[in-house]
Amino acid sequence: MTTSQTTSQPAPAPRKVEWPQSVREYVQRCFAPGSAIPGIDHVEMEAMLKKIITQAAESDRLLEIDWDKHPLPQQIIQAERKAAQGRASTPPLRSQPFYEGSHSYNSAAAGTANMPTSKKRKSADSDALDQNGDLPPWRKNTRNLEDRVSYAQNDRTEKRQRKKAADDATTRGTSKYQSTNTLEKRKQRFGDLADDRSPHMKEPSPTDSASDGPVVGMCQTLEKKYFRLTSAPKPETVRPLPVLEKTLELLKKKWRKESNYSYICDQFKSLRQDLTVQHIKNEFTVNVYEIHARIALEKGDMGEYNQCQTQLRALYSQNLGGHPAEFVAYRILYCIYTRNRTGMNEVLADLTTTDKTKPPVKHALAVRSALALGNYHKFFRLYLDTPNMGAYLLDSFIGRERLAALANISKAYKPDVKIRFLTEELGFESDQDCVQFLCDHGAEDLIEPKEDSIVLVTGKVGRLFEDAKTGAFRKVDIKGQI
Amino acid sequence: MDVCFDDFHRAISDQNGYALAATITPAAPPYDPGRLYVFVRNTSSFTLQTDLRYAIIYNANVHLSKAEGNAWVDIFAAYWKTAIAVLKAEEDTNQGKIAEWDVVYAAWKDTVNALIRAYTSGVLAAWTIPCLYVAGKYLRVFAIKADKQASAYNGSVKFNDGFQDDVVGAIGKNEKLEDAARQINRIFSLCIGDRAPLEESRKWGLYYITNLLFKTYFKLNSISLSKNIMRSLQASSTDMPPLSAFPKSHRVTFKYYAGVVYFLDEDYVQAEAYLDEARRLCHTSSKRNQELILTYLIPCHLLTTHTLPTPELLARYPRLQNLFGPLCRCIKKGDLAGFDEALSASEDEFVRRRIYLSMERGRDVTLRNLFRKVFLAGGYEPLKEGQEEKDRLRRTRVPIAEFAAALRLGMGLDREGEGLERDEVECMIANMIYKNLMKGYIARERGIVVLSKAGAFPGTGV
Repeated sequence: MTTSQTTSQPAPAPRKVEWPQSVREYVQRCFAPGSAIPGIDHVEMEAMLKKIITQAAESDRLLEIDWDKHPLPQQIIQAERKAAQGRASTPPLRSQPFYEGSHSYNSAAAGTANMPTSKKRKSADSDALDQNGDLPPWRKNTRNLEDRVSYAQNDRTEKRQRKKAADDATTRGTSKYQSTNTLEKRKQRFGDLADDRSPHMKEPSPTDSASDGPVVGMCQTLEKKYFRLTSAPKPETVRPLPVLEKTLELLKKKWRKESNYSYICDQFKSLRQDLTVQHIKNEFTVNVYEIHARIALEKGDMGEYNQCQTQLRALYSQNLGGHPAEFVAYRILYCIYTRNRTGMNEVLADLTTTDKTKPPVKHALAVRSALALGNYHKFFRLYLDTPNMGAYLLDSFIGRERLAALANISKAYKPDVKIRFLTEELGFESDQDCVQFLCDHGAEDLIEPKEDSIVLVTGKVGRLFEDAKTGAFRKVDIKGQI
Repeated sequence: MDVCFDDFHRAISDQNGYALAATITPAAPPYDPGRLYVFVRNTSSFTLQTDLRYAIIYNANVHLSKAEGNAWVDIFAAYWKTAIAVLKAEEDTNQGKIAEWDVVYAAWKDTVNALIRAYTSGVLAAWTIPCLYVAGKYLRVFAIKADKQASAYNGSVKFNDGFQDDVVGAIGKNEKLEDAARQINRIFSLCIGDRAPLEESRKWGLYYITNLLFKTYFKLNSISLSKNIMRSLQASSTDMPPLSAFPKSHRVTFKYYAGVVYFLDEDYVQAEAYLDEARRLCHTSSKRNQELILTYLIPCHLLTTHTLPTPELLARYPRLQNLFGPLCRCIKKGDLAGFDEALSASEDEFVRRRIYLSMERGRDVTLRNLFRKVFLAGGYEPLKEGQEEKDRLRRTRVPIAEFAAALRLGMGLDREGEGLERDEVECMIANMIYKNLMKGYIARERGIVVLSKAGAFPGTGV
């Protein structure tokens, strides 16, 4: 199987066409060893490929189709088989009451999406979907007898299907610890209203999820509670991009007005989930993650922040826009906070020369180097002059750095230092704050008035700050979620 | 077929583990480049089982128990498939096609599984453990090739397409290598869990396998997993042969990696001990290994004792000379600006070797050397009555302004020293004192530093 061979594969085209580069690459991808799917042989795949390209050429859509994102023939075949199988495995669902335990948003979703309220209408609904003009061409053409046959078999061979359904459940990694029953209950909570699947709904299974097509969302409701998925999301509960865009605006407004973090965080998680199941990876995706990361930072929710940061790192590598410099800077500060040397080394290795000239990155690097060298003077100057929301990150470790600086100062300065000096050096808002901090760490007896000022008697500090510092540096709760 | 099994029969009857391991090595030895090809061509998938049975079980030259014979038939059957995959991958590479290293990896993993099965069922004796070495070694080799090919093809970011919460599945994922790490870990457990008496225990394979794990974990950037391995070795150290009884090559590698793990953990004292031992054990002619060891040992030594490598040492290793030479000169001179420059010039290289964050701390030593010059330039206190020349004391009360002037010179700032406040100068002095590089205290009100009369700069003779 060589690429040179494969480029000539779709040759038997009706017209003599000069194939665009994107089509050629598409064909190459079809034949790449990595894209083979077990169980789908070459002949089938080639036949499907031929069909796809011929159709595209005949309908003059060769240039219109985004070949980079077009599903590979083997994926289409697999999806078809899945759809057929999905039908076969659904009957056990029907014995369950449908609205038990379903959440309020489900009914809302059902309402807006004009979902049937009786199970009788389910298949009718799926037929309606089939006639949907929005279906991609390969769907329309391949919706064939095979699907219907397996569907028709449903009622006759119940036994076999039950076994099949059980097999299906065991092959899904997540259901290992769940009985089919609880899984179904959970499914219903997600608004599993229509048990009959339209062909472009996917049947997820972690093993070959990569080859499933994206969900096409139909939900029109702006808000949605977050649930961790354990099975395929239903299109009725997934919001398409235009709705999600409105959702984001709404959430931004709500955050400004109400600042209810647990609500916002939950909403953002469901927003992220909807983006993921629809394979939406664009500037909007980046925007969502950035905003969630900033809000999490503001509330000091480091766990959630870190999740967003990891995602952003990969998204930036795809050049989708956003604010990479700002977030690289946060990443550096976060590594300082968690004292992750391996992580820090990785960040430094990733930095390019242009990255290093960006002001936020420069600042974060300066913070890093000041702390590495124990230059507390510079560190606290930088602290007072932090761009963007880096100050929230710095706040999470400013206390322990103050203790470190105090340990340092008390050893080096004798016999005493003025409180004024400490306030300045350690970036406190006021002398009062400074004294408060000292007292909080048990230095109340070491603060004395002297002539026209108040001083900390460093000569008598001993190991007080040293011990406090060691303690403060020891416990870093990395996964510290609210 | 029999011709392929001459080596096997000989190895079995000699009980030579390394020779035996050579017969299941999925790469042809240099003296016999056609070995895999001959083996593959000597049978077909139809006759494979029979051929192997005749060569292994019914052969008059060797007498294996039935279980042992069957185990070897399984192993060689899987090995035969690996050999086919390897030959195909090599051929594809030669022809400039995409080689399917993931297929090779999968085939080899089957072979390794057959081997592990044979050990867990107690069929194979402990003298055969070099087979496990080969198993682990090539798992790693093939996994790296497969991952490299996958990332060239798909890019380094893997997006989630399934029903996940977040868009991105993994960054820079080394899927196969991670799997290889798990498999090698199984081999590790196989060795460490062997309860047979020491003289015939698989525990003799532990350090080789540990070293393989270290290599793999380092490549995966999961150093912390290396610590787990060190911990479990530590825990079972009482019923293990002493490290000194293991082959030297196992020892050197182990000491090196363990030393680097301590190094990255900032336990420089422990690291130095391990690396030093690795260096002593290291073969004098393996320059590259010595270089690797010294790459970590030099920073270690700088941080623990604040001493620099001698020019003679560096001269013997041109690569190290390039890496550390400029920095060492600046540290010695107390040239801060030069130090910063040299550090950022080699930053990429230092970061790649994971020594940047440690080398950065060499700045402290540079600063100490600069301040020491201030102290020396300060001269002596005037002689007191009855005091002799040899007892004359250096001036120990040094104005902060003098240190500030030195800093300005050292950092290449102009006379006015823009961007250098007095508080920052004090901060640097405070750091020196805090880190025991300087002895004394700052009297802020009087604007002076009072240095110790006995050894103001410990370890430097003044």
